[in-house]
Amino acid sequence: MNEIVVIIGGGIAGMEAAAQLLKLGHSPIIIEKSDRLGGHVGKWNMLFPDLTPAKKVVDELADSCRDANIFLNTEISSLNRLKDRYNLMLSNGISISTKYILFATGFNMFPAQKKEEYGYGIYDHVVTNADLEHWMNGNADKRMDTSGMKTIGFVHCVGSRDEKARNPQCSKVCCITAIKQAIELKNMYPDAQIYCFYMDLRLFGKKFEDFYTKAQRDHGIHFIRGRVSEVSEAMDGRLVVKAEDTLIGKPLKVSVDLLVLMAGMACNPDSEKIASQIALPIDTDGFLKSSDNIIHITSSAKKGVFYAGACTGPKTVPETLAEARSAALDIHTAIIKER
Amino acid sequence: MRDLYPSGFDSFILPFMIGMTFVLCWCGIGAVRVIAELDREDRKKFFLSFLNPKILGKNIRDWFCDCLFHVKLWKRNKLLGYMHSSIAFGWFMIIVIGHIEVFIYTPERIHRMWYPIFFRYFVAVTESTMKGSFFFFLMDFFLLMILSGIILAMVKRVRSRLFGMRRTTRASLTDLIGLYALWSIFPLRLLAEGFTADISGGSFLTKSLNMVLHSFMSDSMNALPVWWAYSIALGVFMCILPFSRYMHIPAEILLIPLRNAGIKLKHEDKGVARAELYSCPSCGVCIDTCPLSAVPANSRDATVYLNRQLKRHNEKRIDQISEKCMLCGKCSVVCPVGVEGDKIRIAHRSRKKYSIAHDYSLIDEGKFIGNMTEKRRVLYFMGCMTALTPAIRKAVTAIMDKAGEDYTIMDGDGGICCGRPMLVAGRKDAAMEMIEKNTKIIKSSGASVLLVNCPICYKIFKENYSLEGIEILHHTEFIDRLVSEGRIAIDRSETKYVYHDPCELGRGCGIYDQPRNVVAAAGTLVEADVNGKESICCGGSIGSLSLGFDKRKALTENALKHLTCGSPDAIVTACPLCKTTFNRYSDRPVADIAEVTAERLI
Repeated sequence: MNEIVVIIGGGIAGMEAAAQLLKLGHSPIIIEKSDRLGGHVGKWNMLFPDLTPAKKVVDELADSCRDANIFLNTEISSLNRLKDRYNLMLSNGISISTKYILFATGFNMFPAQKKEEYGYGIYDHVVTNADLEHWMNGNADKRMDTSGMKTIGFVHCVGSRDEKARNPQCSKVCCITAIKQAIELKNMYPDAQIYCFYMDLRLFGKKFEDFYTKAQRDHGIHFIRGRVSEVSEAMDGRLVVKAEDTLIGKPLKVSVDLLVLMAGMACNPDSEKIASQIALPIDTDGFLKSSDNIIHITSSAKKGVFYAGACTGPKTVPETLAEARSAALDIHTAIIKER
Repeated sequence: MRDLYPSGFDSFILPFMIGMTFVLCWCGIGAVRVIAELDREDRKKFFLSFLNPKILGKNIRDWFCDCLFHVKLWKRNKLLGYMHSSIAFGWFMIIVIGHIEVFIYTPERIHRMWYPIFFRYFVAVTESTMKGSFFFFLMDFFLLMILSGIILAMVKRVRSRLFGMRRTTRASLTDLIGLYALWSIFPLRLLAEGFTADISGGSFLTKSLNMVLHSFMSDSMNALPVWWAYSIALGVFMCILPFSRYMHIPAEILLIPLRNAGIKLKHEDKGVARAELYSCPSCGVCIDTCPLSAVPANSRDATVYLNRQLKRHNEKRIDQISEKCMLCGKCSVVCPVGVEGDKIRIAHRSRKKYSIAHDYSLIDEGKFIGNMTEKRRVLYFMGCMTALTPAIRKAVTAIMDKAGEDYTIMDGDGGICCGRPMLVAGRKDAAMEMIEKNTKIIKSSGASVLLVNCPICYKIFKENYSLEGIEILHHTEFIDRLVSEGRIAIDRSETKYVYHDPCELGRGCGIYDQPRNVVAAAGTLVEADVNGKESICCGGSIGSLSLGFDKRKALTENALKHLTCGSPDAIVTACPLCKTTFNRYSDRPVADIAEVTAERLI
């Protein structure tokens, strides 16, 4: 008999885990609240560091899990535990009983309007990293004034490593995403001056450092170490960015035509809502809490409940995929043991 | 009425006399010291104030209302008010009537200080003094009043919540000695007068007790030990008084004319500060009211404990408490005697030495003056916090544009801090430098109105700048005026708004009505359960020098809890800092009053 595994979330973690579970002979069910698979990656344009089209990644994953049972536009109305089984009531009226649940609920983008000093939603030419990807995917955005793109600013760590924004953790991917997007914009507007305002550059991944060197050497992108303190709008509609260059110890002011805010990853309140119904512990940063953070990252405190991807904290795409595979294997092992 | 003892003296009065002499000397020297500590100008002002009939009238009114009737406590809680005023007023009346009795019946003894106190021991009733029964009745009546107050005081020790107080002050040792001495004075007086009521006369209380006592104790000589005990209780109370909370009784008498004369707290522990320190009755009203007390461990940082540490000269704790406070000023508003907890703390901060001196010589005000070439009617000063909340700036300018106002922005492209953060940090010199630079810019602009939307800036502009001929307006006043003059109109919505009084605007500058008018024009105004003068600090205050970000969360959540009890749809405030702070933890939208107005302009 095939064992049912409920996967909450149809992003890349959920899809990859479903594909692996299918290969291992189980019956995964993906529950996705939106009308499509792919999650955040599905809305992205290109992925660092090789500029792989996000669509290609998502399509490939969707193809490999097409034999899974997929419920789109579906939310979990209730979740409870009965002996060693979990009962899920779905918003489409279906109820499922299963021994295994995989949380692949991911993250939320940090709402950039919370950092009011950067003027998102207030000034005309302030966008987030996600808005930029959306625009690069061919969607119109009136904030993107293609005719007058002379100077562009990137603000790193918007809502990341920011206690005042209630988001103290590093979002891991924004440093390299900013470099990627800066290069992409530079390729589109070769005459534009691009400034990245950062506090640290955390370039830990494979080829990240090369990418950073390339951005400076080949594309002439300026990196300024110092957080942006405030942004105001000049009479001509240009944005005046005030920051401090902490390397030379002087305040500086730059007028830009477009300001891109690198909004970080925040916990997804929906995962907490679901997790609290079976009393799963939540970590201090608001993300789901793994049994431990070294060898049991995919395990939860409850038997039969597993985690994969950014629901336990910010992660890159390859890390998420690796975790999804690992979680699938953990679930497989647990099923075999039970038999 | 006649004298029983020709000498008019008995040795039992000695404890009382020792205590009385001691306390009078102590208070006399203390009062002279406080007045001597004032600077020459203030001293002159103080003495002259007694010649001003208006101030003198106010002094007399305050002495009665504050010291005897405790009107402020009555307003807070009836039971608490009755408890305090019954003891204070009852005791006062007993002393007054005691003197009247001596004056009427034994006028030759009037110069004997103990006579009015122990009158019933030294005299006997005669046939001709039946008229005295009127005073006998009054004396018993006020004694009963005091006793009822003391019973309430005992109840309060165990059930303070009945008196509207969640937390009360932890008593110190001297406070406890004073407390027990005070509690024992009046029952002992009752007992003592009860023993002698058959000889010296009495009324419903003492006469009845006398009958009961005589039913099992026939020897009237039993009275003497009780009179001794009464005198000792008085003596102990007076001797401990200067070292206990009861020092507030004489100290407040001095503090009231000092305050009414308009003398400001200038030095951290001299003059007015000393008068305030000793006027603190340790009642603990400030504990519950302090926004910091939302975290129970913080209740040790309330003003009452600062005063205690000041008396003990515990420098480490004084610094800790002074630096932690958010300076919302709520304790000063609720304090029944008018101790200015916030000002005392700022004064103490000024003692702190900084290793790096401030240097503002690089700031060139000439550059800003040069930026303003055209003369405009309104000069809009945003301040630093508004630079971080651009939505407010946008809303304020949108309102002015709509009203057709002739304005310019003083710090649109960078500016100088108003100086208030430095001032509250106790660094007056640094603040004064900024004040000087800003004053030059403002005066050179030629504007007739200075508009600010940050209450922190507003307060310092009002209090520490001298800008003659320039009207300083907070944007709540400005918008309210525009609406009432019909220069703008607001489209009213069904939205339910709660208005949060920012500390610096409400308590700080007394502006409560104008913002409410504006909010009420934009939607339905609901009130928080604690508002106006007692509004709770948002927790984001620039006042605290040591409170970490993580420590403020509970304070903000507490303020939000009180603010949202009327289930409003949105929170409106008039301070960029309150807005930012609330936005962090609020479950509903938080907006500045200008944003709410600008959104609904028609």
